[in-house]
Amino acid sequence: MTSTRPPALRALIATAACCFAGPSAVAQHPDFTGIWETYRGAPQARASGFAGPRAGLPLTEEGQRRVEEYRALSGPERLNAAAHCANYGVPAVMGLPGSYPIEFIHKPDQLTIIFESNNETRRIYIGERQLPPERRIPSRAGYSAAHWEGDALVVETTDLLDGQDQAANPYSEEARIDERFSVAEDANGTEVLTYSATITDPVYYTEPVVVERRYQRYDGFILPYACQDELWYELLEMRRGQLEAGQPVDARMSDIYEIREQKE
Amino acid sequence: MKTGIRTFALTIAALTLGATAATAHHSAAQFDFGQRVTIEGIVKEFNVVNPHTSAIVEITDDARGTRDVEYEGHSASHFYRAGYTRGMVKPGDRISILIAPRVDGADGGFIQAFTANGQTIGFGGLSPETGRRVERAEAE
Repeated sequence: MTSTRPPALRALIATAACCFAGPSAVAQHPDFTGIWETYRGAPQARASGFAGPRAGLPLTEEGQRRVEEYRALSGPERLNAAAHCANYGVPAVMGLPGSYPIEFIHKPDQLTIIFESNNETRRIYIGERQLPPERRIPSRAGYSAAHWEGDALVVETTDLLDGQDQAANPYSEEARIDERFSVAEDANGTEVLTYSATITDPVYYTEPVVVERRYQRYDGFILPYACQDELWYELLEMRRGQLEAGQPVDARMSDIYEIREQKE
Repeated sequence: MKTGIRTFALTIAALTLGATAATAHHSAAQFDFGQRVTIEGIVKEFNVVNPHTSAIVEITDDARGTRDVEYEGHSASHFYRAGYTRGMVKPGDRISILIAPRVDGADGGFIQAFTANGQTIGFGGLSPETGRRVERAEAE
């Protein structure tokens, strides 16, 4: 259809359509952008262990075996991944173990969650643009695809690596985690982001396990968490010692690990 | 530019010094958090790093004489959020530390709070002097 309006008016209308025709995809839904911490308005289940209390999980026989095996592997010193700068993985990290804050960066097609702890990162892809299943690399964070149901962001996380959280709760490569993020105010007017996860894992659980966490806004900064960098600095320092002593500069990372093991 | 390179080198050296003693990367299962003991001594190293801070302190007592003991503490993030500032504790400083002692009774422990240079930092609000909660204003 040909417009009879003058070009200047058409441009003005186009500008108005561009900028005022409606809110963006983010604006139509809650905007999770910002820094959050554990909600303090009411007690919550323990942070470590994605199912809250350690006892009473509906473990399959294989699940029970894995729990017992992990406890034997971690030994009396309770060896754990985070103390070795490894990621917590999903869903355990959503419990904010260590009480470190998290940052949400929310765009229309992606929710990025950055945890202060170990700089662990989640990317949740919103909408139609998704990586085909055959191109997804299994990881501790898994692959997360999301859509909106009203004001709730509904996430399906799959493609996890078989693993366990710090409380030995296992999850398999067949696990599927259905997550929901939503925001509401509590009775005191505090903005509360509620996260829930339903873990369905036929390998380790006889029925779905449900987790819920709540967060509130955090008026602070995400601090750097250069955990793994320490290994590199230690190697450089060892080689610096060799260099200054006129020795062959041949220290290896295995030497650093050996020293660490001796100190433990 | 040259100054910048030198600054970078110094930064690396400082971080490396910090990394040297940051080797106790393990869980906290070896500490008895049901107990509190206050130790006093001279700081040899104070490395506020992740995942765990490490402090080497020269302490003296009748039972074991004078020796350097390594103490472990919360992460750098927790130290700074508790009110710690860069350079607050330096080698040579006298320090008082409230620790959760080791389960096996050996030297060492997990830092619950400390006082150095007239400033007290508490984790979980515990004072190294009284074992009672330290108010936020006092900690800062």
